[in-house]
Amino acid sequence: MRRTWWGFGMALLVGVIALAPAAWAATQPQVGGTLVYGAGADPDSLDPANTDSNPGEAVGRMMNNFLVRFDAKLNLVPDLATSWTQSKDGLIWTFKLRKGVKFHDGTPFNAQVVKYNFDRFLGPEKPLKASLHTPIIQSVEVVDEFTVKFTLKVPFAFFLNNLAHSATAMVSPEAHKKWGKDLTLHPVGTGPFKFVEWVRGDRVVLVRNDDYYEGKPRLDRIIVRTVREDSARVLGLEAGDYDLIVRIPPEEVPRLMREGRVRTYAEQSNRALWVKFNVTKKPFDDIRVRQALNYAVDKESIVKNIYQGLAAVIPTLVGPLNNGYAPVKSYPYDPAMAKKLLAEAGYPNGFKTNLWTPKGRYLKDFELAQAVQQQLQTVGVEASLETADWGSYLAALRKPPAENKADMHLLGWSPSTAEARWGIYPISACDQFYPRGSNLGFYCNKDLDELITKAVVATSLKARDQRLREAQELLVKDPAAIYLLATKETVGMSLKLHGVINSPLELVYVDKDTWKEK
Amino acid sequence: MLSYILRRILMLVPVLFGVTLISFLLLHMVPGDPAELLAGLEATKEDVDRIRTEYGLDQPLAVQYLRFVGSAVRGDLGISIQSRHPVFTLLLQRLAFTLQLSLVSILVASAIGLVAGIISSTRQYSAFDTASMLGALFGISMPIFWLGLLLILVFAVRLHWLPSGGAGTLRHLILPAIALGSASAAVIARMTRASMLEVARQDYIRTARATGYRESVVIFRHALKNAMIPVLTVFGLEFGYMLGGAVLTETVFSLPGIGRLLVEGIFARDYPVVQGAMIAVATTFVLVNLLTDVAYAFFDPRIRYE
Repeated sequence: MRRTWWGFGMALLVGVIALAPAAWAATQPQVGGTLVYGAGADPDSLDPANTDSNPGEAVGRMMNNFLVRFDAKLNLVPDLATSWTQSKDGLIWTFKLRKGVKFHDGTPFNAQVVKYNFDRFLGPEKPLKASLHTPIIQSVEVVDEFTVKFTLKVPFAFFLNNLAHSATAMVSPEAHKKWGKDLTLHPVGTGPFKFVEWVRGDRVVLVRNDDYYEGKPRLDRIIVRTVREDSARVLGLEAGDYDLIVRIPPEEVPRLMREGRVRTYAEQSNRALWVKFNVTKKPFDDIRVRQALNYAVDKESIVKNIYQGLAAVIPTLVGPLNNGYAPVKSYPYDPAMAKKLLAEAGYPNGFKTNLWTPKGRYLKDFELAQAVQQQLQTVGVEASLETADWGSYLAALRKPPAENKADMHLLGWSPSTAEARWGIYPISACDQFYPRGSNLGFYCNKDLDELITKAVVATSLKARDQRLREAQELLVKDPAAIYLLATKETVGMSLKLHGVINSPLELVYVDKDTWKEK
Repeated sequence: MLSYILRRILMLVPVLFGVTLISFLLLHMVPGDPAELLAGLEATKEDVDRIRTEYGLDQPLAVQYLRFVGSAVRGDLGISIQSRHPVFTLLLQRLAFTLQLSLVSILVASAIGLVAGIISSTRQYSAFDTASMLGALFGISMPIFWLGLLLILVFAVRLHWLPSGGAGTLRHLILPAIALGSASAAVIARMTRASMLEVARQDYIRTARATGYRESVVIFRHALKNAMIPVLTVFGLEFGYMLGGAVLTETVFSLPGIGRLLVEGIFARDYPVVQGAMIAVATTFVLVNLLTDVAYAFFDPRIRYE
């Protein structure tokens, strides 16, 4: 008996020793290898200050650093700035900078570099994203080599969020002096990976930056391929041609999970999809009609049936995970209530209207609009569906009230500063009517504007988020849109890939810790 | 002959002028604005206007067109509004790739098409004839998109024989060439068969047989050479279309060809890229037509150009 136990123990021990290396290899990060990343589109620009696309920003995040950056859950954490202080009036921000950081071209990072980058935003060049900083920053001063001081024009409670915006990546002043606007074709940052080439329509290639300040990255090389067709991306992943792909169509996810040959990973994004009313048009000037339409749409069923659960219902214009998002009580599905409100507003039999939607711009956008159209029909609202390619769509919507033909329009809005103010203000404030801003439904509520203003000048996060909560409650009472849902971004990857970042900003990228099994 | 070729090449000038003018007008008639697309949804009108000024889009249309013609004549096609890549470099990259893909595809298409067509015509109404003409019907009717995905599924995902997409090596070209070439193969097969059957009834074929030539000599030297003229026409047209870009094939297989450049340029309202691609496509089409005409004379010495 004793002998048997001993033998069993021995066998177990031998087994453990034999299996250990395999288990160790699977969990211990390995160094080296090329990552092939199937992206849905080409970057628009690799110059961070001129980027306005997810592919551009995602590639940028692998090459660049920021003063402060978002972690995977959109918390703000130190990056090139190690610490900071804010004056009592909220106007002066002082940042201590990280020492020993070098750009890919050898230029050392210091306070002059920070000043150069912000002077570029504030100066005559006016890169595309200049308007992120021009209304807020007065000046930037070098205090000493590793201390920099920002003076703001107005207190701005979202200043750190602006610094973490993809556009505010620090670029090499030497490279910018040399290339000017063509920096997009020769980007130079401080990030974990260095730029090699960009063959438009085909690939962007990056290599490991051995001098990266957080340590040597594990992957040798990254090839970001442009693979426009959704099915081709999925098939390519299954064939092993790509290690990582973005934007898997929801209907493919159950099959991929069942077969288990690749891994899928869905992350809630902060992109909110809604159907905005044009309140300058009847009957949308009537608050009861706007409320009624919110009651009329069964959002839960849309999430379940069209998105296969890869979306979340949102209470207002603001998607979850944004700083300052409040899960306020919103509209349940209640067609009877919708009919009652419509009758009170003088439309007992509904009315005819139109609903504009893009097709293929956002996840399932057209299908979503179709579902909304059908559900509005059940309360008597006949909306004709209008669609166009993105260029024509923008041209049709970005019009002053008198020329705007859309009664309702569907859009997706993802605050790239990851805060609720950006989810509300540019699209709903009284002073943001097109052409001044992106308020294309011409909604205006002075109380909302005031709450946002109070949030902006708040010097404590608690006070700021309280105002934002009240703003979101007000948006429920006085709806600017039919509030729908926030999509989830599903990435697919090889079973051998570890440590991919699927940021709620809809940015999928890798960092120094990402690794691939051999 | 030489003066004929030169004359045809000179004809390119008015052709290109017409093509660029029409595409320019069409592009500007479509709603949408490159500056607005570049600036995005969050941009203010000020941002958009700044871009319009930078790329001269605020100028009257006539001025914009003449400026374009002026620099194009000097060989400067400008830069992409979308990405700032020089248009000329983009075109060279894309044309080089499209040429590779088209050559492999037309090789695949003519190998399959000619063989199937010849055998079918010599064994009219046989099982092979029926099968190959049925296959040709499939080839013509099958949507390229679907065929492409099917090829990827079988040869890349299941069998792991070939890459699913992307460019690089000859192996990357095999599946796209089959997808792209299959429709052309079908057209060539049907045309070869019909033309061969027509020629086979001619007196000189009977004479050749009566003289005692071997059947293979009759078919290849007497019949095929004479049957080639209509086949060549089809061949030239198919090759021309391929060189003009095969946007569906390029999309399914993620290939950087001229077709996708053109279509994506249109969606981005990237005027310089679209204009450049139109010039490239028109030029290749005209040149391929010219080559076809010259080839007629080679196959049929009775055809002479003076």
